[in-house]
Amino acid sequence: MPFIRRLVAGIHAMFRKTRVEQELDEELRGFLDAAVEDKLRGGLNAGDAGRAARIELGSVAAVKDSVRDAGWESAIESVWQDVRYGGRMLRRSPGFAAIAIGILALGIGANTAIFSLLNAVMLRTMPVYQPSQLVEPLSRYPGEPHRNGFSWEFFEDVRDHNHVFAGVTGVFPTKLQIAPDGAEAETVDGEYVEGTLFSLLGLQPALGRLIDPQDARAGAAPVAVVSWAYWKSRFNLNPAILGAQIKVNGVAAPIVGVTPRAFVGLIPGIMPVVWLPMTRPMGLGLIARLKPGMPIEQARAEMNVLHRPRLAQIAEKSHDPQWLQSVMDLEPAGGGLSLLTGRFRTPLQALMVIVGLLLLIACTNVASMLLARGEARRQEMAVRVSLGAGRLRLVRQVLTESLLLAVTGSVLGVGLAYFGAAALLRMLTSGRLPPGWPQHLALQIAPDLRVLLFTAGVALATGVLFGLPPAWSAFRAPPISSLREIGSAGTRRSRRRFGHGLVVAQVALSVVLLSAAGLCVAHLSNLRNRDLGFQRDSVLLVTLDPQGSGYNRVQLANLYKDLLARFHAIPGVRSAAVNAVTPIDGGAASSFATVEGFQEKPEDRRRLMQNWVGPRYFETLGTPFIAGRDFEFADAGRPRVAIVNQAMARYYFGGGSPLGRHLTFERDAAPFEIIGVVGDAKYEDLHAVAPRTVYLNAFQDGRIQSRFALRTDVTPTVVAPQVRRAVEDVLKTVRVSKVTTLSDQVDASIVMERVVAMLSGVVGLLGASLAAIGLYGLLAYTVARRTNEIGVRMALGATQRDVTKLVVKAAMGLVVFGLLAGVPAAFWSTRVAYSIVPDLATAAGPLPVAAAVVAMVVGALLAAYLPARRAARINPTEALRHS
Amino acid sequence: MMESEPKPSDLVQGTLHMLILKTLALEPLHGYGIGQRLEQISKGVFRVNAGSLFPGLRRLERSGLIKGEWRVTENNRRAKYYSLTAEGRATLKRETRDWGRQTAAIARILEASLGEL
Repeated sequence: MPFIRRLVAGIHAMFRKTRVEQELDEELRGFLDAAVEDKLRGGLNAGDAGRAARIELGSVAAVKDSVRDAGWESAIESVWQDVRYGGRMLRRSPGFAAIAIGILALGIGANTAIFSLLNAVMLRTMPVYQPSQLVEPLSRYPGEPHRNGFSWEFFEDVRDHNHVFAGVTGVFPTKLQIAPDGAEAETVDGEYVEGTLFSLLGLQPALGRLIDPQDARAGAAPVAVVSWAYWKSRFNLNPAILGAQIKVNGVAAPIVGVTPRAFVGLIPGIMPVVWLPMTRPMGLGLIARLKPGMPIEQARAEMNVLHRPRLAQIAEKSHDPQWLQSVMDLEPAGGGLSLLTGRFRTPLQALMVIVGLLLLIACTNVASMLLARGEARRQEMAVRVSLGAGRLRLVRQVLTESLLLAVTGSVLGVGLAYFGAAALLRMLTSGRLPPGWPQHLALQIAPDLRVLLFTAGVALATGVLFGLPPAWSAFRAPPISSLREIGSAGTRRSRRRFGHGLVVAQVALSVVLLSAAGLCVAHLSNLRNRDLGFQRDSVLLVTLDPQGSGYNRVQLANLYKDLLARFHAIPGVRSAAVNAVTPIDGGAASSFATVEGFQEKPEDRRRLMQNWVGPRYFETLGTPFIAGRDFEFADAGRPRVAIVNQAMARYYFGGGSPLGRHLTFERDAAPFEIIGVVGDAKYEDLHAVAPRTVYLNAFQDGRIQSRFALRTDVTPTVVAPQVRRAVEDVLKTVRVSKVTTLSDQVDASIVMERVVAMLSGVVGLLGASLAAIGLYGLLAYTVARRTNEIGVRMALGATQRDVTKLVVKAAMGLVVFGLLAGVPAAFWSTRVAYSIVPDLATAAGPLPVAAAVVAMVVGALLAAYLPARRAARINPTEALRHS
Repeated sequence: MMESEPKPSDLVQGTLHMLILKTLALEPLHGYGIGQRLEQISKGVFRVNAGSLFPGLRRLERSGLIKGEWRVTENNRRAKYYSLTAEGRATLKRETRDWGRQTAAIARILEASLGEL
């Protein structure tokens, strides 16, 4: 109670400040009058009485001050005073303020943007009961990433035989056509859920009820549950939604409930609109709740045991012994299933580190600017100390100023981050996601409390970090009386050394940043150009959709021959061919095969990649022909033929020639004769080595394909209109469903690497520029300070060259110190990066670090150029007179 | 050990509030009056200067132990008279009791001689 009363009284006083002040004045005047009267009564004369009374009262201002200090509001008032004063100081040097705030906004904004993505992907927890108990099983087939996709049988097995879970359940995400009563159908994200999902999560419906095990029995009446957002947008939160019919994929189901508002889905990246019960067994993504107190390691061990028989079964059924090597993992799933977002983790973490370094450089940069300003404000500080300002009070003032900069910077930064994160998400998801997944990810990236706390924390930390050096120098500010004597004494030298230290730190951090950027760029260029096995430039890819055209396969094959002839007639087209898959378009067929005269152990069997292509395909793609002949249209009526790649030839035939040998695919009767060998080319994944591949003739066996590749002498998209016209002419009823270029298709598969490389490159350059600017500032200041000395040197015979050398040497000295610290750190961080992304190791070796060092030295020379020129142009006479 | 000419001594830390409350318990007074009364009752031992008196008054007022009221003095001037609130009265009572107990204890400690232990 007294606390609240004091609070109210304080607020009251703040708003009625003048009134309170006046009362205090009047009270003190009354005190003085009373004292004078008292003294007069005691026999003093008027003058003496007044003097005595005033002595008794002491300094009115001091008394008023201590009265004001008695209330808590005075503390706020003095902080507010600091803030206003700080604001005035910054307004007085708007250039400095703008640059400092800009640098900080950039640094803090970049951190906030990356953090809000990281938050959306990794840190958010679902608004469910005890999310920390939730786990998801992830299986890993050798050489492939983690997957959470299991058969119904495995689900039942785990559900019935585990001893570690309080419950296990699953979802099947899919696209659904929904149409509420009579309305137009639309395609939305939806999920089939196992009957116990909602109770396992412990969700309470916003309205009605959620799906329960009764709904998921075979033959149960269909029901649907919709999201809160859907209820809001389509039903305006009208409770009459309960019982409304909704058509899902053509089947009417009553809406029985609405999920709680805060729950947007089990899989980050998908925000389902409608949930349906799984009334029949289907494949599913699993989520389980650990028994209370159950350690995840124990659950993991048991899952691996339960996993074993299933693996043996799959290996048996698929004749693929590799399955036996696959492992089972169990990861926390309080934030939902990692189906989509798992792939963003490493890139986002890498970016977080990179922008963190940028912020450090920004801090150091602003700190050295503030320090230089502090040098200029020594006079002011000295005056304040002499007038009796407390040293802590000065420190508070200086820190307030730097926090003011940090807070302004971070407000701007949050604005930048808001747009930046959205743009970044669009970039990251512009590539091709695994087939069957939604093409854009729905993630909640709007800053939430955690993001804002993060930004506030970063702002505070940066403000204190770059504010400390100037605050320290304010703390040690000498009073004005001693200012004159100080000259170039020890304190100044140490402060100068500190300024040098800040520049050295910036150089070191920049080298680390630049080598990280170099590594990312090298990795990317490596992926783009390393042994692709095809020439990615100048290839147009055209996909036709013959479905519903009325043509049968034989007719299509003949029409496509005509079409290819038309394509070849287009000026600028060098060659054209049909194909089933082109490199890196995301999918490929594969099968086991028996090769004539080759024995292998069952566990060594691998699938062969299959591709159906037409004549001139290899020429079009730029895959080199090694031996034998190409496919022909005339093969159509002849025995089956195949062309193999070198990886396959090497494995099955060693040094011998595969030509004339035969291979037979599993579950296929007739053999294929090998008639040619081509170079290895990557098809599924740029990160992997080329698989053993068999090419079959698309004009045999009715395997005609509706995809075309055209190699052009001109920019491939230039011929696209003529290609479309040719299709319209030859095939009246066939649609062109997609036109792209091979180059775009390849790039779409490495969007993550491209975005990381681009961002780290930009951030690296920014960091290095900041370091160069810091260096420039220091050198310019040094030259200005040493004008005298340089004048003397020149008067004594130093040439312009000598003076230039002096400045450049100073710059290089700082850079060398920076490199001494930065290069080992850069090597260390590249090694850490290698251990996280093994693919990087082959990318670059020490090249990125070397490039970073060169870039830094060049940057330093550029930074030294202007100060060196200024120093060289110093006129000795003027310089000496100037002193 | 009394000095022949007692100088006004500084108040024992933290007791000013209690003394102000006690003074006001007798009758409402203005700032100068409180100082005078304290000096008078303590026979000149305590002299409170304005620099501690007024902040003290502000604190007590903020805590709701006293309240101020502008009135006309006997000399026909306006002055702010302070008086105890009910809460102030209760606080004074409690603090007086505590003080008595503490000083008695302190006195015993200071006067203790080895023989008594």
